[in-house]
Amino acid sequence: METHYIGEHLLPGELGHFFVLLGFVAAIVSAISYFSSARSRIPEVSISWKKLARAAFFIQVFSVLAVFAVLYFIISHHYFEYHYAWEHSSRALPVKYLLACFWEGQEGSFLLWTVWQSVLGVILICTARDWESPVMTVISFGQVCLGSMLIGIYFFGYKVGSNPFALLRNEMAGAPIFSDPAYLQKYIRDGNGLNPLLQNYWMVIHPPVLFMGFASTIVPFSFAFAALWKKRYTEWIRPVLPWALFSGMILATGVIMGAAWAYESLNFGGYWAWDPVENSSMVPWLCMVAGIHTAVSFKHTGHALKSAFFFFITAFILILYSTFLTRSGILGNTSVHAFTDLGMSGQLLIYLAIFLIPAYGMLIGKNRDIPSMKKEETLDSREFWMFIGSLVLFISAVFILVITSIPVWNRIFGTHFAEPVEREFAYNRIEVFVAIFLALGIAVTQYLKFRGTPMAYLKKKLLWPTVVSLILGSLILFYGDIHYDRFGGGFLAAILILMFCSVYAIIANLSYILFMIRGKMRSAGPSLAHAGFGLMLLGILISSSRKTVISHDPMGLLTGAFPKDSKQDSRENVLLYREVPMEMGGYDLTYRGDSVSRVDGKHFYKISYVRRDSATGKVEESFNLYPNAFINPKGQEGLISSPASKHYFTHDIYTYLTLVNDPTQIRDTSHYEAHLIGVGDTVFFADGYIRLDGLDSHPVTPRYRPMAGDIAVGARLTIHGSDSDQFKAYPVYYIRDSTYENNIPDTVTQLGLYLKFDKILPEQRKIELSIRQSGQQNDWVVLKAYLFPYISLLWMGTILMILGFAVSIFKKIAPPKSSRPPPALKTGS
Amino acid sequence: MKRSNIILLILIAVAVGVIISMVGDFSTYETFRSAARQPDKEFHVISVLDRSQTPVYNPVKDPNYFSFYARDKAGVEQKVVFTGSMPTDFEKSEQLVLIGRMDGSQFDCSRILMKCPSKYKADHAVQARQLESKL
Repeated sequence: METHYIGEHLLPGELGHFFVLLGFVAAIVSAISYFSSARSRIPEVSISWKKLARAAFFIQVFSVLAVFAVLYFIISHHYFEYHYAWEHSSRALPVKYLLACFWEGQEGSFLLWTVWQSVLGVILICTARDWESPVMTVISFGQVCLGSMLIGIYFFGYKVGSNPFALLRNEMAGAPIFSDPAYLQKYIRDGNGLNPLLQNYWMVIHPPVLFMGFASTIVPFSFAFAALWKKRYTEWIRPVLPWALFSGMILATGVIMGAAWAYESLNFGGYWAWDPVENSSMVPWLCMVAGIHTAVSFKHTGHALKSAFFFFITAFILILYSTFLTRSGILGNTSVHAFTDLGMSGQLLIYLAIFLIPAYGMLIGKNRDIPSMKKEETLDSREFWMFIGSLVLFISAVFILVITSIPVWNRIFGTHFAEPVEREFAYNRIEVFVAIFLALGIAVTQYLKFRGTPMAYLKKKLLWPTVVSLILGSLILFYGDIHYDRFGGGFLAAILILMFCSVYAIIANLSYILFMIRGKMRSAGPSLAHAGFGLMLLGILISSSRKTVISHDPMGLLTGAFPKDSKQDSRENVLLYREVPMEMGGYDLTYRGDSVSRVDGKHFYKISYVRRDSATGKVEESFNLYPNAFINPKGQEGLISSPASKHYFTHDIYTYLTLVNDPTQIRDTSHYEAHLIGVGDTVFFADGYIRLDGLDSHPVTPRYRPMAGDIAVGARLTIHGSDSDQFKAYPVYYIRDSTYENNIPDTVTQLGLYLKFDKILPEQRKIELSIRQSGQQNDWVVLKAYLFPYISLLWMGTILMILGFAVSIFKKIAPPKSSRPPPALKTGS
Repeated sequence: MKRSNIILLILIAVAVGVIISMVGDFSTYETFRSAARQPDKEFHVISVLDRSQTPVYNPVKDPNYFSFYARDKAGVEQKVVFTGSMPTDFEKSEQLVLIGRMDGSQFDCSRILMKCPSKYKADHAVQARQLESKL
């Protein structure tokens, strides 16, 4: 007999799964109808198919939104009978993170992707005009593929997709608790919750942006595919450009947001680690940017059309390949943040193949039909160098991809390669030359004219930007203090050359805006984006090569316990006792104590940084950082810590905890020590000294309530801490009923000081003061601290680049004020 | 042949050359014993933590010294020294990928990659265990 379970809410799940299936079927209908519409030569038939296709697509959009809403309803109502809610959320989770747990799992992130693809589809229906049917055929088909990831139905014994509305008791069938009809009340009171590492506002905003970037790459692909299919080889470039620019903009935003997240709140100690997951979202962007450049080049000169086809198709194929890499579990040994295998790797491979084979097949098959210029580009033409730049971007993408895919090669060829031990250097030493080339190209190419440039013109226009860049570069060279010699002089030389080139890229593009297009912002998109990219390069260069470890462990330096000839000095952890300052990197660091957030139980650790003038001892800079951590969060042991940084324009000071003493383990073993002192005397303790300022015969303090017949004395104490901090304390001694000796101690919590006024010794004119300093010896933290110079340039450059993309898109979609088209040669678009 | 095609070929040749020359830099997965044959080179060693011996980490004495015992795929037990702090959830790890070199009787480790049940939330077996523990 079937058990009747108590307290389950089955309706939302059934509704949700119904919409999953409806959306899937509607996407199939839409894809087939658009296909028929695009194929039909008879206008009436084509239009009627298109009507059906649109209706089906809108049903699909509605279903996807309904699925989204139902899943959110289940998570926000804590229906833990659903596996997804149980796995990713919990009752205590603040509302702002409910969306984050939505896309913590694979199903939710596929859902996010398909939602964005729906939105883009609707925009295309409204704007694509005669491209609608063939383009939307591809998009609808993409929706079929994404929808299949969510249906969770068995076909011939193979499970297709993973249903986000699966019940816990079905997913975990066989677990003994489900033999109890009241399992939900008895055992599943709460969910597993969101991984504390992800409880962060970046987790709320980064995935939606990144997935919009992923989703947007299908649009240029669809245009390229439609153009090949309908043999409209040249017309697609004009409508595809705004979409490609949009895709490039959003993808870049998503990737850099991920980098900023890693820097701001994960303790990776940086913003980019060449992790496979990071690489696999950057590689499609490189390809998309290559596509944009070749498409622009074609628009103005008729060159590079085949390359534009190839790059736009490949960008989307690379997105699918990245999805396979990060979600198939194949990166398990190399990446810190890949998804696990949900048993869908086969399905992901089919998804990849089903787009890859027809697209490349058609590109090869129709290669001869695609028009190409007979005449070659000349060496002094803009289109030639744009093409070379695109090639370099693409080759660099291939290089990154080949190294990132080592686990895939191992799987295919049965080899046992591991990634290079010095991972970052392995990439950087190649990419530094790519960057040099790109920065030079960015600086010079805009000054070239399409179809050829007179040399005298070029010299005249480039003279001043070159001179200014050389001067600025030299200034940075002499005062910038870049001497990154960990990997030898050759690499340092390359870094310095790149520094000059990125300065050149920034200056040349800014002067292009000022003097060539005379500040017309409408046409400044490309220059803004390029100057931004140059600024990013400069920021990356300086912040990485001059990143310094503040928390060098002095003990290690003394004992010489480095591993033999290790290039990497990993002794970056420093132990700080509470209230014991330690000098490092020019700062006095002091751990001042911790506090716990009432909202989520996070511990905040107050670390004070003080920098003094070495001669006068005057405080020049003083601030506190609050790196924080979850200690023993639910289901885990240990520390999940997040860094804190002090941002300056010129540098960031970055600190995070690697270890804290478990607060439950801190036992107070300290005891009182008695001291005899007179008025004006001082007593030393671990972090400073205490001075007895005076004695009051009628003490006034809220802690002491006088009674008739009391003989009471209060001791006025001033405590001088390790810094110039001063504290007051006022312990009281009294005799009650002329026999009982009593005292009321005082405390200075900041220093962990307990002060007791024990006795008066009238003949010696002294008092006995007992001092206890608690918790200090077992209240400590281990932390790492870095200094990142000029990381602000990276963020500023990113914003500038994104702005440049936005301006370019605006220029493409908004008609110019005057009907006269702007002169193409000058605007460089 | 067009100039751009020639350049394309040159670039591809350079890229292939670079990638092939990098294969020499690729590390390989080794065992402690095979890593000992080339003590000047760093390798990846896949191993599991030996739980019968307590890891040594005393941050008060030295926050950058952490040692433990691990057993590689060949079943060889080895003392490992890591210059750094003890990673979070270390004792829960199911598998350790150690990157470093053999130095006499100990393995000097510069990086540890852990495979932990907590990091890989969707692990079915772990979830089943969790549910059972609720009984």
